Amino acid sequence: MLSKRKLLYLCFLAGSLLSQSVFAQNTTEESAPLLKLSPEICITSADEKTCDIEVTLEWGQLTNKTICIISDYKDLKKWCSTSPDIHALTVNISADRDIQFVMIDKDTHETIAGVKLKVTPASPPQVRRRYRNPWSLF
Amino acid sequence: MPYLLALLMAASLFSTASFASIPTSCDNNTDCIEVGRWDIGIALGYGNKTNPLKDYEDIPLYAVPTLAYYGDSWFFDNGNIGYTLTEGENYTVNLITTFSNDSAFFHRWDPSNIFLLNADGSHGAVAPLASPMTTRNTPDPKSIGELENRNFTYLGGVETFIYTRFGIVHATVAHDILDVHGGMESRLKWLYNIPLDRWNFEFAAVLDWKSEEVVDYYYGVRASESLYWNQAYQAESALNKSIEFTGQYVLTENWNLLFVARYTDIADEIANSPLLDKDYTSTYFVSAAYRF
Repeated sequence: MLSKRKLLYLCFLAGSLLSQSVFAQNTTEESAPLLKLSPEICITSADEKTCDIEVTLEWGQLTNKTICIISDYKDLKKWCSTSPDIHALTVNISADRDIQFVMIDKDTHETIAGVKLKVTPASPPQVRRRYRNPWSLF
Repeated sequence: MPYLLALLMAASLFSTASFASIPTSCDNNTDCIEVGRWDIGIALGYGNKTNPLKDYEDIPLYAVPTLAYYGDSWFFDNGNIGYTLTEGENYTVNLITTFSNDSAFFHRWDPSNIFLLNADGSHGAVAPLASPMTTRNTPDPKSIGELENRNFTYLGGVETFIYTRFGIVHATVAHDILDVHGGMESRLKWLYNIPLDRWNFEFAAVLDWKSEEVVDYYYGVRASESLYWNQAYQAESALNKSIEFTGQYVLTENWNLLFVARYTDIADEIANSPLLDKDYTSTYFVSAAYRF
């Protein structure tokens, strides 16, 4: 049977491990994303189905890496920075569906991060049945 | 009245399945309207509505407005107020207020005559012409004196729509809610739309039943009007039969050409009234319609 002292110690140990794990998780969640997209959502108008927008990709933390951006957007299959000092890329987009951007290490081709531009159609106005002919002459 | 209450109770049972469903499609047979937005329009043109009342003038039509607002459940549509109890893909059940179109023959400013102006500009669009009907103290016992008022009233009741591939069936049962005549009206309508490119044609056939109280109030003869006819004509419930046609041609997003025609065969029980000299009423209207 465990003595009261040992029990207290085990409780303390378990508690401290738990708090460390929670702390570590928070730290990871709160850290800035490696690749940031701005804006992340484009809403198409009811009349035009395509989204025409200028988006900016930023990767501020990777100061010592030269990276490439690859995407499923037809005009940006692959773009590579020429220097580790470049930390942003601005692209004009004209799309009717979501676009996925992936950042890879230029030298090792290791995938570093990814972001998605969401293309969302504007919600159509809510309609319901009309029960009278507008010109029924009563 | 007990029939109406029974119908309302039956309808309220449906309402437990709360109205939330939007029609799955606004197909060719179903006109749709945007929720929360006024639909305002006016049709300018020329038409005529014949008045079956003896010695009363026909009603010319120059401008007809349309005004509607639909919320999630409530709606206002050209003077009708309604509440949708339940709706599915193939049916709708509404509580509604509506109005009788009989008083329109007697009153210039009846809702059925709104914006329907007199051809000669006088305010007597439906006023009787000088006639035996307007002459008091005539020695002819069969002559009818000046008519007493036949007032407008609102009806309240239940309507049901059934949407089928063969058109829409619309059934209404409504009772006088302002206690003007205490009567009841019922209507069964079938309508069918045929869209053809920029054209849309709507055909409808209507059965209009009016209770004895309604017929007696509007077409019965009061003792003050003629003692003879007060006894000689006894009102009974009646069934009018109508056919309607609405043709629209889309010119632009806002402008339509509009062709409307209606013919009503007035039931014998009403046509036998000495106040009438026709057993039918017809309406036509040709116009350009603008929706704001």
